[in-house]
Amino acid sequence: MNSYAAPQQRGPAELDGLLLWPALGLLLFGMVMVYSASIAMAEGSRFTGGQPAFFLMRHGVFLAVGLVAGVMAFQIPLRLWQQAAPWAFLVGFVLLLVVLIPHVGKSVNGAQRWIGFGPINLQPSELMKLFAVLYAADYTTRKLDDMMSFRKGFVPMAVVMVLVGALLLREPDFGAFVVIISIAVGILFLGGINARLFAVLIGVMAVAFVILIWSSPYRRERIFGFMDPWQDAFGKGYQLSHALIAFGRGEWFGVGLGASVEKLFYLPEAHTDFLLAVIAEELGFVGVCAVIGLFALLVQRSFAIGRQALILDRVYAGLVAQGIGIWLGVQGFINMGVNMGLLPTKGLTLPLMSFGGSGIVANCLALGILLRVDWENRQLMRGQQV
Amino acid sequence: MRGVKFSKSPLLSERLPLWRQRLVLALLLLGFVVLVGRSLFLQGINNEFLGDKGRARYERVIDISATRGRITDRHGDVLAISTPVRSIWAIPEDASLTPAQSRDLAQLLEMDVRELNRKLASERDFVYVKRQLPPELADKVSAMKLAGIHQKNEYRRYYPSGDVTAHMLGFTGIEDNGQEGVELAFNELLSGKPGSRRVIKDRRGNVVEDVESVRPPLEGKDIVLALDAKIQYLAYTHLRRAIEENKAKAGGVVVLDARTGEILALVNLPTYNPNNRGKLIGAQLRNRALTDTYEPGSTMKPFIAALALEKGKVRFDTPINTAPGKMTIGTATIHDAHMHGVLTVAQVIQKSSNVGISKMALSMKPEEMWTMFDSIGFGMPLKLGFPGEVGGRLRPAKNWRPIEQATMSYGHGISVTLMQMARAYQAFARDGDLTPISLTRMDTPPTNVKQIFSAQTAREVRAMLEMAVQPGGTAPKAQIPGYRVAGKTGTSHKLEGGAYANKYVASFTGFAPVSDPRLIVAVMVDEPSNGRHFGGDVSAPVFAQVMAGALRTLGVAPDAPLKPLATDMPPVTEEM
Repeated sequence: MNSYAAPQQRGPAELDGLLLWPALGLLLFGMVMVYSASIAMAEGSRFTGGQPAFFLMRHGVFLAVGLVAGVMAFQIPLRLWQQAAPWAFLVGFVLLLVVLIPHVGKSVNGAQRWIGFGPINLQPSELMKLFAVLYAADYTTRKLDDMMSFRKGFVPMAVVMVLVGALLLREPDFGAFVVIISIAVGILFLGGINARLFAVLIGVMAVAFVILIWSSPYRRERIFGFMDPWQDAFGKGYQLSHALIAFGRGEWFGVGLGASVEKLFYLPEAHTDFLLAVIAEELGFVGVCAVIGLFALLVQRSFAIGRQALILDRVYAGLVAQGIGIWLGVQGFINMGVNMGLLPTKGLTLPLMSFGGSGIVANCLALGILLRVDWENRQLMRGQQV
Repeated sequence: MRGVKFSKSPLLSERLPLWRQRLVLALLLLGFVVLVGRSLFLQGINNEFLGDKGRARYERVIDISATRGRITDRHGDVLAISTPVRSIWAIPEDASLTPAQSRDLAQLLEMDVRELNRKLASERDFVYVKRQLPPELADKVSAMKLAGIHQKNEYRRYYPSGDVTAHMLGFTGIEDNGQEGVELAFNELLSGKPGSRRVIKDRRGNVVEDVESVRPPLEGKDIVLALDAKIQYLAYTHLRRAIEENKAKAGGVVVLDARTGEILALVNLPTYNPNNRGKLIGAQLRNRALTDTYEPGSTMKPFIAALALEKGKVRFDTPINTAPGKMTIGTATIHDAHMHGVLTVAQVIQKSSNVGISKMALSMKPEEMWTMFDSIGFGMPLKLGFPGEVGGRLRPAKNWRPIEQATMSYGHGISVTLMQMARAYQAFARDGDLTPISLTRMDTPPTNVKQIFSAQTAREVRAMLEMAVQPGGTAPKAQIPGYRVAGKTGTSHKLEGGAYANKYVASFTGFAPVSDPRLIVAVMVDEPSNGRHFGGDVSAPVFAQVMAGALRTLGVAPDAPLKPLATDMPPVTEEM
């Protein structure tokens, strides 16, 4: 607490307000919308014991834990994060293995994504997104001189990512897979990987994606539902068609907070993956634009902070900051695109907002690290040590 | 850390080129711009289409039930009223109760737990668990807060007077539609028109929002019957006692207001409790006074006498020789129970001579008799709106053989309902005319009357019918202290399989007070089997009791001195 409070005492510009306040805003807005989206479902469900605030209470606890975790992450210098990065990545990898062990990993709706520790359910793939940022940045920093080399610069990372990707697809968690690959590829690209190599890589990945999608009936089904939800609106297109109806009903200013009809058992996963649809229905185009705008601001700030770090010759910190920007940007874009029917349904939450403990805590840790990067930048620019 | 700043380090700036950061950021921001555009399309342009899709999924037009009107008697006493009840229904898919919950619910609903579980295991989306529960009990069920168990407001029809008015009122089905009696006859007025409103429902079927009222409900109208609950109860009580005493199979009483044609009472036995129709059998349901015909026997005779008077064939005191108490027409022979010798026309009615009345009948053309029967309402239903109302048997005149014309004059070979007979006696109770029959209370006297006989003829027949209940007539037991009474007995063999069996229908139809007739009472007792079977013994006492009580109830002024009645003298036994 001391070192967090200390910078604030030295002056007003120790933290980036344009990052901090929009992030806190999204977290709190998310909590309100999680409550609104889940209240009817929580009240009418046996599983929640009929308590309307079932999800709100849990989300509040996650948020509190997340904020504490974020503050703690802020205390840790980037130097230590870099040292810990390979180990953290290894822990994440082991957790991804553990979740696949029968009876240890918990399965919901056919996807085995959770490890239960008493009352807490841990979702390793959410943490792995953060670890991937930390590790990919570390890897790139270490191999900065080999970035033009296919064998030395690209292959080791590719091998690691294939392993992680295989584990994620075993769960299956296609959404996390896409996000983690995006983070890794993005950081390598920013780290100066051979442009021609990169182009080939993109091509190979595109082919791999098509193969992945066509090889699994589960994924293919999701693709078809997304192409034309009205064709089989009560079957495969059910969820998406209800999400789209929610958008259409919201019009410019929404039907009013709490007044969504879609959340009344029509739209599945209203408080997690389809939270934006409820926002769209209750708060309209204005509400959706506010969410998109805040995410755009977060991404822009991450890149600006990262660039500042790079200017200060802090390559690891810079890549971490921009990696976090890629993470939040890509995941946010995919989730919102899914809600609007631009992308196939993937099972990705809206970062900072959707219900889900592991996700919120991982997002808060990332914000803490991002703020740390910014704080260290400011210290260095004042000529102080970090 | 390197000594040279990034911006000034050619090596580093080549490895981490600025354009790459700018490209990635630009792509991400472009993605967000695309999202804004998509959102704009969905929420600002395509919103009509999506809104329609939404309305198709969760807007529903639901009925608002109209409250069924009450049925009251002529004084406003409630005879049928709808009380709110609730039905418990379930979406079996949502209703997964624990064994303890099932047990508690079954106990509360007083049903077998296996039956409950069977209903909740149904494949359907909607099942009734139990219908028409009292609201207090339904509140206890909702207090259990069971998922998938819902309630619906309904109405249940309640009949305070129970079996006394059962046939008159009929009843409604579980969907609140009239099935019998007045409930059916006036169903449209009583039920009103359900309204409808457009609502938004959640996926579990709960209404969450009222969108608009499509049509307000039109509440059912109250029906005020002509029925007088007190007279109805009198008729019921006395008929019931007579049926028990005579060990009869069935019976009926009709009370008409002679001035207006209003039905003041209509009773049939056996009856049923309309509030608990668990074990109904067909015989209980029959509204005999309207749906069953019987051969009226001698109650038919006054019409023949009236026609003969009307046609100038006879006068009040024309002598007719009934000796030797029998008459042969073709191969058949008509008998009188007693030999009377020469009787006047009035005495033929008083003593109820078959021979005398047959002679009068045969003096007329079959067509003349048929026209009279037809105009007085025999052979066709009264069209009161009751289900199963019948008209009775009246064959066309051109097929009548003389023997048939003769037997019809004393009420055999022709059949009527009790209501038809009561109504036909209006012609004598009034000055020769008939009014329409009314189930509902009339506030003005009817104007569309139908003249059948002249007033003179009606007065003369009235006098003959008064003689019939006096000593020397067939029904002295029909007399009432304080009132002058007129009426005619009828005792007919029952037809079984085309032949007359040794079973009887004992009837009496009459009116009072004779000086200004107010009420007509018709009584029919089916198969009395406790030794007596004559109308004068079985039905006349019921008539007297009902008539006396009804006149007193209505406060009709007596028109005779109050003196002991000479009913101890044995009545003249009528023929059959």
